[in-house]
Amino acid sequence: MFRRKKALKTEDTHIKQLADIVGPKEVLFHKEDLISYESDGFTIHSHMPKAVVFPKNTEEVAAVVKYCADHDLPFLARGAGTGLSGGAIPLNGEVIISLVKMKRLLHVDLENRQAVVEPGYVNLKLTHSISDKGYYYAPDPSSQYCCTIGGNVAENAGGAHCLKYGVTTNHILGLEVVTPAGDIIEIGREGIADVPGYDLLGLITGSEGTLGIVTKITVRILKNPEEKQTVLAYFDRVEDGSRAVSDIVSRGIVPAALEMMDKIAIEGVEAAAFPVGHPKDIEALLLIEVDGISAGIEEQIDDILDVCKKRNVRSVKVAQDEKERAKWWANRKTGFGAMGAISPDYLVQDGVIPRSTLPQVLQKINEVSQETGLRIANIFHAGDGNLHPLILFDARVPGETEKALEAGSKCLQACADAGGSITGEHGVGIEKREEMRFVFTDQEIQAQTDVREVFNPHYLLNAGKLFPSSGRCAEIKAEQKKAASE
Amino acid sequence: MGTSDVLQQVSSLVKDSAVEENTSLDYWYGNDGKMKVFPRSEDDIRALLQRANDNRHTVAIAGNGSKRGFGGKEAAADILLSLSSYKGIIEHTVGDMTIIVKAGTLLRELQDYLREYRQQIPLDPAHPESATIGGVIAANDSGPKRLGYGSARDHVIGLKVAYANGDLIRTGGKVVKNVAGYDMNKLFVGSMGTLGVITEAALKLRPLPKYESVLFVPFEEANQHAIREFAVEILDSMVEPVSLELFNPRLSEKLLGHRRYTLAIALEDVETSVHYQEEKIGEMAERVSSLTVFSEDDAKQFWKRFYSAFPNSGAVPKEHATDAVVKVGVKNLDVLSVLNECAMLEDAHNVSICAHGGLGHGLCQIHVAGAQEDVLAAISSIRKTAVHLQGYAVVKHLPLALRQMIDIWGEKPSYFFLLEGIKKKMDPFSTLNPKRFIGGL
Repeated sequence: MFRRKKALKTEDTHIKQLADIVGPKEVLFHKEDLISYESDGFTIHSHMPKAVVFPKNTEEVAAVVKYCADHDLPFLARGAGTGLSGGAIPLNGEVIISLVKMKRLLHVDLENRQAVVEPGYVNLKLTHSISDKGYYYAPDPSSQYCCTIGGNVAENAGGAHCLKYGVTTNHILGLEVVTPAGDIIEIGREGIADVPGYDLLGLITGSEGTLGIVTKITVRILKNPEEKQTVLAYFDRVEDGSRAVSDIVSRGIVPAALEMMDKIAIEGVEAAAFPVGHPKDIEALLLIEVDGISAGIEEQIDDILDVCKKRNVRSVKVAQDEKERAKWWANRKTGFGAMGAISPDYLVQDGVIPRSTLPQVLQKINEVSQETGLRIANIFHAGDGNLHPLILFDARVPGETEKALEAGSKCLQACADAGGSITGEHGVGIEKREEMRFVFTDQEIQAQTDVREVFNPHYLLNAGKLFPSSGRCAEIKAEQKKAASE
Repeated sequence: MGTSDVLQQVSSLVKDSAVEENTSLDYWYGNDGKMKVFPRSEDDIRALLQRANDNRHTVAIAGNGSKRGFGGKEAAADILLSLSSYKGIIEHTVGDMTIIVKAGTLLRELQDYLREYRQQIPLDPAHPESATIGGVIAANDSGPKRLGYGSARDHVIGLKVAYANGDLIRTGGKVVKNVAGYDMNKLFVGSMGTLGVITEAALKLRPLPKYESVLFVPFEEANQHAIREFAVEILDSMVEPVSLELFNPRLSEKLLGHRRYTLAIALEDVETSVHYQEEKIGEMAERVSSLTVFSEDDAKQFWKRFYSAFPNSGAVPKEHATDAVVKVGVKNLDVLSVLNECAMLEDAHNVSICAHGGLGHGLCQIHVAGAQEDVLAAISSIRKTAVHLQGYAVVKHLPLALRQMIDIWGEKPSYFFLLEGIKKKMDPFSTLNPKRFIGGL
């Protein structure tokens, strides 16, 4: 009763109206309640939302959106808030539509290999709920224990096992979407492939919540492979480790995952919650997983061991059981957070390069580290060339945050120069808007904003994300600096 | 302005292109042009489109012309832009397992080139010897091995596209993982050339399998239940088939010489793994049927025959018979119902139907042959069945005169306004492939 009273105690008509739609308990608007919604996983930037609403179903989402559209209120959708590029930060004082209460698993159809979930459903829960029947959901971002599938769709999330199985977009079969005007549309009926028309499924996936709000998702589920084997290899030279990556792939092996960590990253993960006992003096480690038919695995493992030996591996071992395998993966998957054990702050970057340019780009990142005087750890999905330079800094030291941002940008420039991309799975958000210019011309950016205009003509949904805009960007950079120095 | 004026204009505009007046329009399949341009340079493509767009001339886009029977209601646009001379490999970095190619390159040529490196483009649409990579992407064509490898939308990592106004736009990039900006690649895959002219494509490659075989499990005609049970058992087991494609009896007879429903199960992996899976499938098959195995070259030869089993617009049509190819999309296991329905249609409409469908991906390809009105009636029945199963039916090959009589694409989706909005933004004057796609896009 008390909360109810509190929720209604406002003079703001918009908030009253929104409370009418979702119920008074499902609206936050007091400053102290809004603080945790000021930013997401990209904590360098923050801004206060107008309110946060928690719809329980598609109709409520549509009604909220319609209300916002009719009253010119900016709005955006948010899942678990684990995004690393600031896509859910309410830059314009948005009404945040939190989808965490729409978290049901609606339907599982094993015969047709699909499941239907609400957007607030947590990624890992899906695998947990079908694993007893021998199935799983493939995309596995490191935050999968808490990130939502709705958020994964918005960001086109990847993960360690995307090398063989693809990223989120390769696993989305259908979407129910609330358009920025408040209409409910269904794309990809019943998860059926190639429905005639432009591929809106593919376009909306990865559009970072700027084209519509996803309210229902049909995903492809996969059968567990018969067998998995995981190899851990230690190298004295980064170069040998990177060459081994290319050699493995060149031998016609498609590993399920092929991960690399460098010395500073290893220092971090060993100091954090899930140490494995990696030697401190190695320069690089590879974590390689192959899966598939048991009869063929041994041969692939032999091939991988052979490659490692030819590339001067110091030592290499195969996980003896599931426990050991899980330990290695826990160590890797908590790698970003582990940097907290060796540095007060860190900035994660997310560049992609052609695999063959790995040694040169790592060298370049090393130079950026020397130029800026900031340590940079590297954890990456080496198999698909997706680098995560982790720039270690101390925000309490004046100027260091700016320096870290600059170092991050330089790392991305190095990736772009090598023929790569500025983001492989974290998204552009607000973090990399300017860096979009490293890979696209103005005309190419315009081609994309043209598409946005079709969906989001009044630009009330998640404005100011993804693209640099000439007038605005300078302003935001200044804002970013200001926020960073506060 | 007469055709010869346009011809003169275009000829003076382009530098490296062959330009010719079309004196014998293809009224049989349509999608032709009153004049034909075969550009060899990007500049020419750009200049040509810019001029055509400014002058409101329509442009039909073709690769090698193998899909002229797919969509479109006109015999000819003002200009046919054929990319068949715009071919070749731009960049292939072996260790990165990516390739950038010009759109007019034939799929077969690409695969032959890549074989030297033990790599492949993991797409297996029909007629690779006459289909260009650009056409395969624009039509989002795929084959039975889609189950194991996915389709064009899964392998295209970047495109270069000439917009209707001549602007050259790059989408995606050349790395295998990329979320910078919107995934614009997806808009062009399957867009039937109505949004832009794909001039270059960057694709992800896969290693060639070290060993392959294809297993055939035949079933008695009326026993849908047994096929379903068997397919589900395979899907639920540890085996990882690259295809789980069901052939109807007439197609089986054509390809394998026996008139039975036949499951074609492709296995691709290291040799020990393939044999191990053959054994497991053999055990499962023992209870319901028999099993034939084609390995390595025999398997390759079989697939080669399979990919040319259906007609396309590259071939001269037979007299007195009308050929149609229909693509049906349904839920995976509903493929059984679609193929079952085909058997009934043969009798009901006096047509002959060869059909196959993937029990792991839900797409069927159905070749209907017979007299005109019978073929049209059969198409209509196939669509009814598909729609009843919540799916769709698209006619991907049919002579022009018949295309003008029926709806090729089926009903528009509820979100058609968005598709229309995209088209208007990107090609406001409907210069490119006018009315070739769903709802007259």
